[in-house]
Amino acid sequence: MKTIDLYQYKELFSAYTELRVQENTELNITFVDGNITKNSQSSTSGVSSRTYLNGSWGFASHAEISEEAIKKVIKEATDNAKFLDAKVNKRKGPLPSRVAHVEKDFSTKKARLTQKELIDFLKEIDEMITRKYHNLTSRRIILNTLDIEKNLLTSDGSYLKAMIPRTFIHISLSLIKDGEPVTVFDAYGGRGQFEDVFSSPSDFEEKIDELYRHLVNKSEGVLPDPGMKTCIIDAEIAGVLAHEAIGHTVEADLVLGGSVAAGKIGQEVASPLISIVDFANTCFGETCPVPVYIDDEGTEVKDAILIENGVLKGYMHNKESAQYFGVEPTGNARAYLFSDEPLIRMRNTAILPGNDTLEKMIESIDDGYYLVKASNGQADTTSEFMFGVRLGYEIKNGKLGRAIKDTTISGVAFDVLKTVTMVSNDMKWESSGWCGKKQPMTVGMGGPAIKCQINIGGR
Amino acid sequence: MMSPKEILKYSLEALNRLGAQKSQVNLTLTEKHEVNLEANEFTMVRTTFDTAIVLTAIKDNKKGTISINKSDIKSIDSAAQDVILVAEASLKDEANDIAEYQPSKVFSSGEKTPDLEMMYYRMNELVKQIKEKYPKIILIQVFLYHEFKESYFANSNGVGYVSNQGVYNFFAMFSSKDKEKTSSFNYTSFSLKDLGKELLSCGTLDILLKQLKEQTTTRPVEGKFIGDVIISPDAVNDILDFLTRSLSDNAIISGTSIYKNKLEKQIASSLLTVYSHPVSEEIYNGYFVTKDGYEAKNITIIDKGVLKNFLLSLYGSKKTGLKYAYNDGGAFVIEKGETALDDMIKLVKKGILLMRFSGGYPSDSGDFSGVAKNSYLIEDGKIKYPISETMISGNIAEMLMNIQAISKEQINFGWQVLPWISVKGVTISGK
Repeated sequence: MKTIDLYQYKELFSAYTELRVQENTELNITFVDGNITKNSQSSTSGVSSRTYLNGSWGFASHAEISEEAIKKVIKEATDNAKFLDAKVNKRKGPLPSRVAHVEKDFSTKKARLTQKELIDFLKEIDEMITRKYHNLTSRRIILNTLDIEKNLLTSDGSYLKAMIPRTFIHISLSLIKDGEPVTVFDAYGGRGQFEDVFSSPSDFEEKIDELYRHLVNKSEGVLPDPGMKTCIIDAEIAGVLAHEAIGHTVEADLVLGGSVAAGKIGQEVASPLISIVDFANTCFGETCPVPVYIDDEGTEVKDAILIENGVLKGYMHNKESAQYFGVEPTGNARAYLFSDEPLIRMRNTAILPGNDTLEKMIESIDDGYYLVKASNGQADTTSEFMFGVRLGYEIKNGKLGRAIKDTTISGVAFDVLKTVTMVSNDMKWESSGWCGKKQPMTVGMGGPAIKCQINIGGR
Repeated sequence: MMSPKEILKYSLEALNRLGAQKSQVNLTLTEKHEVNLEANEFTMVRTTFDTAIVLTAIKDNKKGTISINKSDIKSIDSAAQDVILVAEASLKDEANDIAEYQPSKVFSSGEKTPDLEMMYYRMNELVKQIKEKYPKIILIQVFLYHEFKESYFANSNGVGYVSNQGVYNFFAMFSSKDKEKTSSFNYTSFSLKDLGKELLSCGTLDILLKQLKEQTTTRPVEGKFIGDVIISPDAVNDILDFLTRSLSDNAIISGTSIYKNKLEKQIASSLLTVYSHPVSEEIYNGYFVTKDGYEAKNITIIDKGVLKNFLLSLYGSKKTGLKYAYNDGGAFVIEKGETALDDMIKLVKKGILLMRFSGGYPSDSGDFSGVAKNSYLIEDGKIKYPISETMISGNIAEMLMNIQAISKEQINFGWQVLPWISVKGVTISGK
């Protein structure tokens, strides 16, 4: 990304102002049955400025990164704030701040692979699949990479220069069983550029064998019996529960928008076995999938403790919501593109591990389900959440049974989490998806396996 | 600084010089002005200026694409070199192609310049109306923006199109609060040609707000039963998403679409007719040119239940030997029926009025399950009470065959036009 000395524009700030230069670089290669159906790279960069005046915000952005464009966005943002302030005159005081200077770069130090080498890598995985499995109707391999580079300066003195990449290979296998298509897919990868995340196509052999085994099981699978069931939500998807069921309801802007979590701080909302934290950048000494060091308002981050031993402890804040609630901002203000304003977003939301083992948890259930992989999810102001389940198994008399077809689980978070009776002692992170809230956003979701009562869809 | 047409010409020449046998360039300049509300208060005015250039090169039947958002010579030169490398790295595929020559054309719709004062006026009017009419409503997030897009398309076969489109877009998400009780949120969106009408009268906004004020007290339906579901225009989208996915490139090429062999065959009740109308008076947020560089055509997707068209791209069409759609999907219009919504409700013995569906992605075979949000139990032809913690499940393909009635009423969202649809045979389960 073009390096700009942002400090030279500081004298143009006439009120509280953020100035951000950002570039999002993406790569997508899609193989469908050995054909390359998408082979593209993209770069989106530009400059934006946001100004706060007595409670009104003005924002402006420009795709050009030049002295003229930077001056223009600072002026336009200021003019927009003035326009609104003249109309609504909120007379709010200055925003709280916790300034910091941070530089973080997660770029690979290895030599970068060319597009041809990346295509050859995927082609080798594709050939491995066709060599091993002959009854597939279709196979799909998608490489998605995203590098986000940000350079931020705020008028209260914070500075950030960061490069946070992520890389994922998605593999999808389909077959036709009794005239109906059956599909399984999974995503592999995480934080880092391709060279740091993947080393050899042969590393995928076991993953594909496992995926194929699930495909065969699913093709012989059954629709679940709908209704309230005892389920084990695997560690791979417990993070989705943390994100959808609790996370969204305790984003301070949703709390102000009527969330049921309003006024519940200090109350018991879950089993004492449940603790949930939105980690900023580090969890148990390890860097999180989506580390944030200074948010896009320039706030030095801190972990947001959401639920501790079943008791609701706090919300996730930006500067303005922290001012409203009279607390410190947590550093949850994040923007996706240069042209997006920061919104309250989760970072790495996780349920903390407990003391049980997955094996014992399965053994403890006579009739229920073990839910292994999730698809999309949605939250609600009432805390009634849902998420799609694309892979799961019956549990009968303490043992795994038949696979189940695609389904959805739902429940009221504050009720479901009170039914948790076992929590496994391991923890996994998932970060291949997107969180949607006006803008898309990369997030990390983590947790252990959870045993609880939940409503499952089926016929 | 080059003009947009000079940028296109320069880009095509650069790609040709670097060895592309076929090439295309798409340049879009966007200016956006937006007024935002959060928690019933005005929060922000936002202005964005963006540029997008997509360069596509085909060399020896290998294709590559690069998108950038800079239009200076240095950036274009660099992107042109990169896209050739991307194409060279690809695999040969004879289905890679660009649009054939068509005469140049300029299209225009909507207003170029936003009326910021009027945008503020309409939003302020909405806040006041809601405060008076629905005092328990909290506007969680609302934004109204005007977008003006100048789009230029050119390819090495001599295609040259220009589209100038101005449109206002509105989105609102809201909940209702009554002391300690809170409702589920609901949301809707619509596009407008101008700001001549008050926002509350557009789309389904007033209907949803009116319902929401009574949704702070809900209860699950009892037990499990097979019943009827009347799907609201906002919730019909979930069906259209499945149809789009099943009729597009990936599903048809890979053979995972349940409709792959169903062209000219009955896939829905004869009551259902679905169009994609990107170029029509009633759609304000459509498109004039397809992504492949053909003039967009309005098409019929389902005619009285019979599948008439897939939504294949030029690549998908050449790969499968099936007809190119001259249409990128979206801008859906479902033909209205002959039954009034009130009469549709009267015909239901036991079922629900589905206002919002929150569910997992349907499987390739159409199986779906999810939560009926902001919805109502219907018994003996009457709406009984607002429900929560109630799931519905079924199969979309079967549901399309099981349509019982389509409403006389249609909602024009400006980006699509949809009625209420009543279906039978859906599994409904509560507590």
